[in-house]
Amino acid sequence: MSETVDILLTVNGTQRSANVEPRKTLADVLRDDLELTGTHVGCEHGVCGACTVLIDGEAARSCLTFAVQVRGSEIVTIEGLAEDGEMNPLQQAMQASHGFQCGFCTPGFLMQITALMNENPKPSEPEIREALSGNVCRCTGYQSIVAGVLRATGQSPISDSTHQE
Amino acid sequence: MSQQVAQRYVGSPIKRSEDPRILMGAGTYVDDVKLPGMVHAAFLRSPFAHATIASIDTSLARKAEGVLLVYTGEELEALLTPGPYGLGLIMSMEKPVFSCLATDKVRLVGDLVAIVVAESRYLAEDATELIDVEYDELPPVATVEQAFDPSNPPIFEDLGSNILVQSEPHAFGDVEGAFSRADHVLRVTISQHRHQNVPMETRGCVASYDPATEHLLMWSANQGVHIHRTTISGRLGMDPEKVRIRTADVGGSFGLKLGGSREDVAVAAASRALGLPVKYIEDRYENLTASGQAREESFDVEAAYTDDGDILGLKVKMVMDAGAYPGLAGALPSMIESMLPSAYKIAALEFQSTVIVTNKATYVAYRGPWAAETFVRERVIDLVAHELGREPFDIRMQNVVTRGEEPTVMITGRSLVGVTVRESLERLGELVDLPGFRLEQEAARAEGRYLGIGMASYIEAAPGPKMPGMPLGREEMRMELAEDGKLIVFTGQMPHGQSHETTIAQVAADEFGVAFEDVQVVFGDSDIVPPGFTGGSRSATMAGGAAIMTARALRAKVLETSSHLLEANVADLRIENGAVSVVGVPASAMTLADVASAVRQPGRLPEGVDGELKVENAYDGGSGGWSGGTHCAIVEVDCETGLVHIERYVVTEDCGKLINPAVVDGQVRGGVAQGIGAVLLERSAYDDRGNYLTATFMDYLMPTTMDIPNIEISHLETVPLDPDVNFRGIGEGGMIVAPPTICNAIEDALAPFGVRIYQQHLPPAKLLELIGVIEPE
Ligand code: FES
Ligand code: FES
Repeated sequence: MSETVDILLTVNGTQRSANVEPRKTLADVLRDDLELTGTHVGCEHGVCGACTVLIDGEAARSCLTFAVQVRGSEIVTIEGLAEDGEMNPLQQAMQASHGFQCGFCTPGFLMQITALMNENPKPSEPEIREALSGNVCRCTGYQSIVAGVLRATGQSPISDSTHQE
Repeated sequence: MSQQVAQRYVGSPIKRSEDPRILMGAGTYVDDVKLPGMVHAAFLRSPFAHATIASIDTSLARKAEGVLLVYTGEELEALLTPGPYGLGLIMSMEKPVFSCLATDKVRLVGDLVAIVVAESRYLAEDATELIDVEYDELPPVATVEQAFDPSNPPIFEDLGSNILVQSEPHAFGDVEGAFSRADHVLRVTISQHRHQNVPMETRGCVASYDPATEHLLMWSANQGVHIHRTTISGRLGMDPEKVRIRTADVGGSFGLKLGGSREDVAVAAASRALGLPVKYIEDRYENLTASGQAREESFDVEAAYTDDGDILGLKVKMVMDAGAYPGLAGALPSMIESMLPSAYKIAALEFQSTVIVTNKATYVAYRGPWAAETFVRERVIDLVAHELGREPFDIRMQNVVTRGEEPTVMITGRSLVGVTVRESLERLGELVDLPGFRLEQEAARAEGRYLGIGMASYIEAAPGPKMPGMPLGREEMRMELAEDGKLIVFTGQMPHGQSHETTIAQVAADEFGVAFEDVQVVFGDSDIVPPGFTGGSRSATMAGGAAIMTARALRAKVLETSSHLLEANVADLRIENGAVSVVGVPASAMTLADVASAVRQPGRLPEGVDGELKVENAYDGGSGGWSGGTHCAIVEVDCETGLVHIERYVVTEDCGKLINPAVVDGQVRGGVAQGIGAVLLERSAYDDRGNYLTATFMDYLMPTTMDIPNIEISHLETVPLDPDVNFRGIGEGGMIVAPPTICNAIEDALAPFGVRIYQQHLPPAKLLELIGVIEPE
């Protein structure tokens, strides 16, 4: 067996430990060892943003991070957003805005948006687009995601369809 | 029978049932499936486009840490039943015949050479590097010229050449007459470039063969579990009844995940050999390189038109590059041919097609696979307009058909009943101030800014109008009333972003008479659900219709049964708000849960009355119909950087009655985004030796939040054709018509430079080349 090391992490507020190969990415450790499969892997080379988690409050790509690098850190994943098993206000706003379709990019977007909202509670549409420009969604064309962020931050949604109000 | 139920859900942007699990990270995508004892597969892939395998030595890999199995192509072939793969099997493709893994030679960069199964994916990948393969390179066939060159070896020996299909010219209408009457003939070559689906979730599967029962369970990301079952069981030589395909959440597909892949078959065979569950998840390099690509066609076009702007006829010669291991491509030329005239009064068409094979990835279905017809036609219309110095909008209005007037059939024979492209153009004319824009454009040009407007129209057979001899298909559905009074719907649809759990439930709830929350939609298990698949923009009509018909049949059955429980006439009973009651006697109400449990109690129903509250039904598409519309883009081209900024994007479309407007808008916008990406960014690039150049997201560029504008959508919902079902599909339209819309807008912006656009891919370097700022490559 390849050499392994013990690591301790705080994930979604809970102390977790794992015995992992040094080459194992944080994404793989979260998904395989800790069975938190909400974090998705879309490219494994740092471009798509699907694997985004919060590491000590900052949005980071878990596919580019080795788990051993973040020993002792506080990690928040998509599974950590819900409050008492209910969707948090961001998640509720995304549902109301039909933010996503297939849901594969979704964990990365929600974590990136969480980081954005922590920094900037009322981001403008250009600020939202800029902050999310490193996350790829293949399904939606982004408008519904941007609308969800506006809704989550108490701003009026984009008026965009002659069909809807 | 057709008792009207209050419409409570259809037409409203109901929140998706899928969302709580998706938004909370609780979805089950194929890579989330973990079975006891599961091991992991990796593939060794070819570094060459075209080469014979001189020797292959797997001895070191077999001894590597954690390795359980290594198969070469030949070893694996001994365990399989030869025959076509994937859509090739569904389409009964006879030639070329090929193996699961490469045996004699490799035919594209990324071709499958060996499979390794190990305790982890990391170890499996390590071991692939220990396999020693000697290749003898063959001349690559990576371009049309190379494919036509008889001195190049055939990629597939049984084809005898690199031409897969070549048709005779087909003539529709009086082609020679049209061309002799014409004042002008436009002669151009128009092409689409190779680009690809790129769902954010790659392909993958977990195969688990149980030696005791000789059954295979396979979790997989796909668009239809039964198609998957057929294509997997065929190659494994198994009775399909012994293969069960399960699929929960799928992270996008856009046509890619239709039918079992060669990888799927290899993984299933490995599981059968080991008696262990084996997982394989394609990585992004593999996905971009070898999963499949689409849209590489070139068209020599002659267009006959008059001084007045009437387009009289087209002569078109198409060459399509099917790549290696062809499947779908052979079926597309006839679709492109039949759709070329679309909603225009084009009275003559001659069409000839050639499909070639090359050392590139397989040509696969991608959102509107036949979309070349729209690209070619809508480009030709603009080119004709420019030649005549006319407004392209006016040329469209002049040539588009009018409902109720001749022609009511395309010259290729397809009925135009219910086509509303004219109405969509009119609506666009109301939403976009074209004369105002021309003034703005002129003023901007005076300041050295280049604005342009472009539009394009399309129709899509979603599912198509009913015509004699052309059945629209058959969509089965099953429904049952569960003991707790919930309505359970079993569908063959395999949603992968289309929100069917929500939309089918909306339709069923309205028709049956229960709350949306009391409907559960079951999909993705070949042991349980009826046959079907999601694709081709079929589900709105086909599954929507099946939901109406099946809910209606179950309602009749529940009322019939309830008439015994309530001792009332069926005709006097209603299902409303989840209860059965005698009309006008609210006190008689019996909840559906009470009905469902009563029928399960002995003695509650008279002898011989069927208490099984289940029905199976099927829908044939009814009158069918077209989707369609017009898109318009206003762009600004920066002539120093070659960057295109989309200032405004307007969609006017008609997909009949909307089931869920937010879902429809999402489908439209997502399709438009892919079309914008196709023109401005995306290209599956090869060099002329067949080396694939865009195998990462640093090279294959996809649109981000910074590239896609907000998209305005106006729905027409014009023409009810059918007494019951007037939902039509909208999944593909955006991707079909956005590319010509953007290209037309860019050409308009660059009119001062005399630019004409013949190729769909217009990244900055290409635009600077067209403007004359940089030299062509
Ligand atoms: S998976 Fe990490 S950025 Fe794509
Ligand atoms: S919702 Fe499918 S990739 Fe974003």
